[in-house]
Amino acid sequence: MSQTIAHPEASEVESSHGHHAELSFFRKYIWSEDHKTIAIQYLFTSLFFLLVGGLLAMGVRYQLAFPGVPVPIIGSFLPSWLVTSAGAIQPGGYNALFTMHATVMVFLVIMPLLIGVFGNFLIPLKIGAPDMAFPFFNALSYWLFLLSGIILLSSFFAPTGFPASGWTSYAPLSSHAQYNGTQIGQSCWCVGLFVNGLASIAGAANYITTVINMRAPGMKMFRLPLPIWALLITAFLLLLAVPVLSAAAAMLFCDLNFGTSFFSSSNYGQPLLWQHLFWFFGHPEVYIMIVPAMGLVSEIISVNSRKPIFGYKAMVFAMVAIGVLGFIVWGHHMFVSGMNLLLSATFSFSTMVIAVPSAIKTFNWMGTVWGGSIKYTTAMCFALAFVSMFVIGGLSGIYMAATPVDLFIHHTYFIVAHIHYVLFGGSLFGVFGAIYFWFPKMFGRMMNETWGKIHFALAFIFFNCTFFPMHNLGLNGMMRRIADPTQYEHLRSQQPVNIFITLSAFALGLSTIPFLINFFYSMFKGPKAPINPWKSTTLEWTVPWPTPHGNFETTPTVYHGPYEYSVPGMEEDYLPQNQPAPDTVRLAAH
Amino acid sequence: MLKQSSRTSLAFLAMVVLLLIASGVCGRAAVRTSDLWWMPEVASKGGVLIDKLTYFIYYLTGAVFVLTQVVYIYFLVKYRSRKGAKATYSHGNNRLELLWTGIPTAIFIGLWGYSNHLWWDVLHAPTPPDTMEVGVLAYQFGFSFQYPGADGKLGQSDVKLIGNDNIFGNDPNDPATKDNFQSSVLELPINKPVRVRLNSRDVIHAFYVPQFRVYQDIVPGRTIDWVWFTPTRLGSYQLACNQLCGSGHYNMKAQIEVVTQEDFDKWYKEKAAAAVIPAGNAPAQSK
Amino acid sequence: MHAPATTVHNEGPDIVRFGMLTFLASEAMLFSGLIGGYMVLRGGAGGGWEMPEALKNVETMVKTIVATLCLISSSFTLHFAESGLIKRGKGGKLLLLLTILLGAAFLTNQALEWASLRSEGFWFNTAGIMGSCFFVLTGFHGLHVLIGVILLITALIRALTGKVTPRQHGFLDCTGLYWHFVDIVWVFLFTILYIL
Ligand code: HEA
Ligand code: HEA
Ligand code: CUA
Ligand SMILES: [Cu+2]
Repeated sequence: MSQTIAHPEASEVESSHGHHAELSFFRKYIWSEDHKTIAIQYLFTSLFFLLVGGLLAMGVRYQLAFPGVPVPIIGSFLPSWLVTSAGAIQPGGYNALFTMHATVMVFLVIMPLLIGVFGNFLIPLKIGAPDMAFPFFNALSYWLFLLSGIILLSSFFAPTGFPASGWTSYAPLSSHAQYNGTQIGQSCWCVGLFVNGLASIAGAANYITTVINMRAPGMKMFRLPLPIWALLITAFLLLLAVPVLSAAAAMLFCDLNFGTSFFSSSNYGQPLLWQHLFWFFGHPEVYIMIVPAMGLVSEIISVNSRKPIFGYKAMVFAMVAIGVLGFIVWGHHMFVSGMNLLLSATFSFSTMVIAVPSAIKTFNWMGTVWGGSIKYTTAMCFALAFVSMFVIGGLSGIYMAATPVDLFIHHTYFIVAHIHYVLFGGSLFGVFGAIYFWFPKMFGRMMNETWGKIHFALAFIFFNCTFFPMHNLGLNGMMRRIADPTQYEHLRSQQPVNIFITLSAFALGLSTIPFLINFFYSMFKGPKAPINPWKSTTLEWTVPWPTPHGNFETTPTVYHGPYEYSVPGMEEDYLPQNQPAPDTVRLAAH
Repeated sequence: MLKQSSRTSLAFLAMVVLLLIASGVCGRAAVRTSDLWWMPEVASKGGVLIDKLTYFIYYLTGAVFVLTQVVYIYFLVKYRSRKGAKATYSHGNNRLELLWTGIPTAIFIGLWGYSNHLWWDVLHAPTPPDTMEVGVLAYQFGFSFQYPGADGKLGQSDVKLIGNDNIFGNDPNDPATKDNFQSSVLELPINKPVRVRLNSRDVIHAFYVPQFRVYQDIVPGRTIDWVWFTPTRLGSYQLACNQLCGSGHYNMKAQIEVVTQEDFDKWYKEKAAAAVIPAGNAPAQSK
Repeated sequence: MHAPATTVHNEGPDIVRFGMLTFLASEAMLFSGLIGGYMVLRGGAGGGWEMPEALKNVETMVKTIVATLCLISSSFTLHFAESGLIKRGKGGKLLLLLTILLGAAFLTNQALEWASLRSEGFWFNTAGIMGSCFFVLTGFHGLHVLIGVILLITALIRALTGKVTPRQHGFLDCTGLYWHFVDIVWVFLFTILYIL
């Protein structure tokens, strides 16, 4: 099959298209240009970063529950920018903790998990392509991503340590070393995000080119599985939003190191310019982190309800709408930043409007389970939970979209609750579901369902115990980003809640362990997976494992839409995309 | 298969119920306003209106949440896979799509109308004539305040003039500034509208008083003077900086005392006697 | 940089062009970000926006205009180089070399200009908001030109080693698109930084 894809002229890269046996270890595992291998590389790397980001979060939680209490055991080993001589986390160090927690989780965990892992793994397989359009840049993208991670975390060893001005790095705090006291860390932040951006852009251009140009015969746009639509739209968001952050990061870097005055309050610089540039990227960014999850979840729900997705086109248009509107709502992060009040009013309007497509998706998910024959696999549990958690996170978004209410809850734990319901209960639950769902195709073995259910139950319960009370904390006026709530009278009575949250957070962290064990055990010892364990209709389930380089023996032909389940008049309850419908049955859609 | 799936579906149901209870708890808490579970008692005129809106959204979203989740969970249990039972074959229904696009759109636009109306009324309504203006300077890591002094006028100020010997950037040529006096506590008379003139001398800080339902970032290089409110409850509160501003952010705060008009006048006289802001007693230079 | 060739599956060079165009959309947003920032800052600065003598004087103006003409004409030379190498399958190598030289000329001029500005005490940190914008914008663009020149040199080498043929020219195509893009960006920057 390699011959069928390798271009006659691409002689100088023939090797990369040869059969596995021909590949050197280096070409196979290190600099692999096979999208499947790259996906796995992304998977391991970002799971590692999840542990890093999570442990940072544990530090955050520890400090909030036990401010000023030396960290047991490890406390004395931590660097002096982070802890006092007694080993207690100090305020500056706390700022560094949540700054890197968020930066890691957003740029090194959620984005690569959703886009790097599932984008790479699923796009060619689902559209019936031999590989990505630009395998070289695909590999490059992974290594740039890893490099950015190293740059970001390397500042741990700088004498002044991690950057500490929040993942939003508001200037002039971030742009003046004498204010933030972490010149090296903050510079690493700028460079790291710039490199990370290059990786994202390389990936995005690659995905768009691939999906537009390399679909198998018969794979019309409206026959694309929803994850592919989601990833395509996400790729456009990345392509247009990320470079703006790169530009801003570059300006910030110059302010910080070359004494330019873009964001400084003197010399006619404008602190708010940073916020506008950051959030112009930042809001599309948050949709970048949810839309792919929506796509993955839609498919998992449809497959496990043995039912076509409800309102396929509505789902697609909703995601397109989210993508487009996502570019005109950034100001809702700046209602009370000193921005023109009229702008706040308009941004409030667009923010209300952008909630509509999410509503549409929610109702269509409900429509999909309606009348289904639901199989409660672990993947399905996570997918179903995603919907509920996303609704909670979304509804809390409505509070903030109302400017006067935001006036009260801006920068409180209400926001923190919102963040985590959409990003953890949303994005990360989606990722977990997707891992359980596609694991068989990635590693050729099944994950253990019982342990999966245990992981789900623990994660679901402790996630809610951790983050639901944060809504109340926020409404009680607990500010975010403060190292020691007990400094404030109106917050002292909250300490019990903070302690409860922290204990739940530890449990939530530990709940990841059954997952990790299950994951690695199943990789080697799990039962061998049949070619199509979930009786799924999409193309990736038609290829054997290990999937050869080039994926398909012969390019498949697609005859109908992706979710033809329980078609009346067929004894099998699913009709793969590459099988024409028997003349006896009529399909209800495209 | 059947047993297994129904068991897990019920387990799932149990968990979501658990969640509904969790939200129910604060539903009840909404009734009794103990600090531990609900918003600090409102202490300003505008705050009352904001709370109304907050509650409106609370009940709206609460209803939406309960409705959607109850239906959802009902489906999840009713349609769990059973022997023989086959899923309905449906690709959707355009009428429904229109319905659940239209209704939320209407709700959201309506909600925007309500909240936006309030936005202007709370923030953009012209300040009443008897409004007292107070200057606020935020710096790493603290606040200081200046009062109009005897003449009741703060006078002109300009961020460009802010420096160690003129921390509020008062315009020296404006006589109204001469008798301004400085305070480290924000002393406020009850039921009297007060407008704050916000300045920062280093990074972005914030003016946040949860009990007043007031938040505004204080941006260096700019003067923000559109924030005003009317305290309605006697007592002491804490002004919190709620914008990350460095290692000292976590306890950058100031005392707010809402007192009766009499007490305020007394305090004001004493302070005014000391008159002009003594040069040099600037806040610790931000490192 | 041989990558694009690996990607020429069955679709031929078109897919490579498509990919490059997508990437350039992203590049466009990068400069939009910078130029947007420039507009906001300049709008806000009002009188604080001083154009330094060093930039206003006739000599610099003339030099910059010449450099600009170099860059613009290089787009044309490249165009004909391409049509030579791709359409007719012969010639064009010299034009490609000429393009490189024009690009190099532009870079040299910019380097000299930066040097002279610096010698007159006009630098990132000493030139107010105008300086911040000037150096970062021209710096970013200069970097792109530099990369462009390197790509062009690579393309020339490929041409000389017979790797650019009417049937295989993905790399040259991309380099071309990229070069034209960098060119257009400069027209914008020249207008907003020197003229307006
Ligand atoms: C995955 C990420 C994600 C997603 C999907 C969202 C979705 C939304 N977000 Fe969120 N947001 C963040 C991530 C995300 N957000 C982050 C990280 C921050 C903090 C950044 C920082 O400061 O650090 C933030 C901050 C943030 C703010 C700024 C708050 C502040 O700083 O003061 C606002 C304000 O408007 C907001 C609003 C919204 C809205 C309206 C939605 C909507 O899209 C939600 C729409 C969904 C629903 C509404 C639920 C389902 C719908 C129905 C069930 C239909 C019926 C409903 C009704 C009729 C009410 N978000
Ligand atoms: C992108 C996704 C994402 C994810 C998944 C998380 C996950 C978590 N977050 Fe995060 N968080 C953000 C994004 C995310 N966060 C963002 C954007 C902010 C804003 C930052 C800012 O203000 O700038 C934030 C801020 C934030 C705050 C507010 C800090 C502050 O404002 O002062 C808190 C506090 O509780 C918090 C807690 C947690 C916890 C307990 C988890 C847990 O879910 C983590 C659980 C996972 C693990 C623990 C790792 C895996 C398990 C192990 C390593 C083994 C076991 C280890 C132990 C038990 C020690 N986060
Ligand atoms: Cu000042 Cu936070
Ligand atoms: Cu947003």
